[in-house]
Amino acid sequence: MTHQSETVHYAVSVVGKDRPGIVAAITEGLFNLGCNIADSSCTMLAGEFAMILIVSLKKPFSKARLIEELKPVCDRIGMSLGVRTLHPDEIARQESDGEICMISVYGADQPGIVYRVTRELAARSVNITDLNTKLIGTEEEPVYVLMLEVALPDGVTAEAVEQTLVALKKELDVEIGVRVITPVAF
Amino acid sequence: MPILPILKYPHPILKKLCHRVEKIDQSIHGLIQDLMDTMHDGPGSVGVAAPQIGVTLRVCVVDVSKNRHGKENNHGLLRMINPEITSRSGSATMREGCMSVPDYTGDVDRATNITVRFTTPDEAEHAIDASGFEAVAIQHEMDHLDGVLFLDRVTSIKTGLFRRKNY
Repeated sequence: MTHQSETVHYAVSVVGKDRPGIVAAITEGLFNLGCNIADSSCTMLAGEFAMILIVSLKKPFSKARLIEELKPVCDRIGMSLGVRTLHPDEIARQESDGEICMISVYGADQPGIVYRVTRELAARSVNITDLNTKLIGTEEEPVYVLMLEVALPDGVTAEAVEQTLVALKKELDVEIGVRVITPVAF
Repeated sequence: MPILPILKYPHPILKKLCHRVEKIDQSIHGLIQDLMDTMHDGPGSVGVAAPQIGVTLRVCVVDVSKNRHGKENNHGLLRMINPEITSRSGSATMREGCMSVPDYTGDVDRATNITVRFTTPDEAEHAIDASGFEAVAIQHEMDHLDGVLFLDRVTSIKTGLFRRKNY
């Protein structure tokens, strides 16, 4: 671990058709640069594999150098590449004292489910920390599932959040449940 | 009575199999006191196992009575020497963290009902039926006696609610 002031951070995103070897190819490129992978999340969405990585490198280092190394790799395996330089203020983890909740929303597929739900949450300063959606069911009866992990503002209860979503639940005719999943440290 | 620092992974003791206590002497009484003092010092701590304070013996303390999840259903302060789970049933998932693995949490499946047999500090053989949050806490602490961390039992990354379909 090197001191933060001696490192530069980038957000790297890589997306493309899934197949074995993507992570190995990308991380080989990063390894060759002497790059650290800090937080990352990689998942398969439909047939696409999507990687988001926060990486750090010892200064001096340029975004151009990172792209120069990764672009040929991405081209070879048919992936798109995005790189953004992070400001030191962006790297600090946001900690909340509020409850962590899982919000599950599911019902007949219709336009606007994600927008309508997240608009209500945003209006109450509920911070989404993770979001997953999936289209399930049959072609005749498509069902939409939206799962959100959220951090509530300090002092706001899960019941209060559930209450604010009652009207929306009726209007969209979907199920909405809120439950506390705040981790317990043993 | 010292409050001892909680060892953090990668301290090698946390991955060791702990030894059975063969004789309950003054050192064991001292160890239990240290575990209690350390537990009571940790913010919201509901249990500490001996290896977490650097002792590779099968001893742990659990007390969920002050925790919001456990205050309705508990056996108060449990001081357990050579604990063994003799039966387990049910299964529930809870997001766990651990003082020995800071800044990481994960979903872990554990039995909801357990019978645990142990020796008390006054050398009595004791068995209790624990359920719910207390059962989870006991299983978490007892895992430490086998060098098992919750990281070894995480069942899902993040939500893990979706089993991926093949497209």
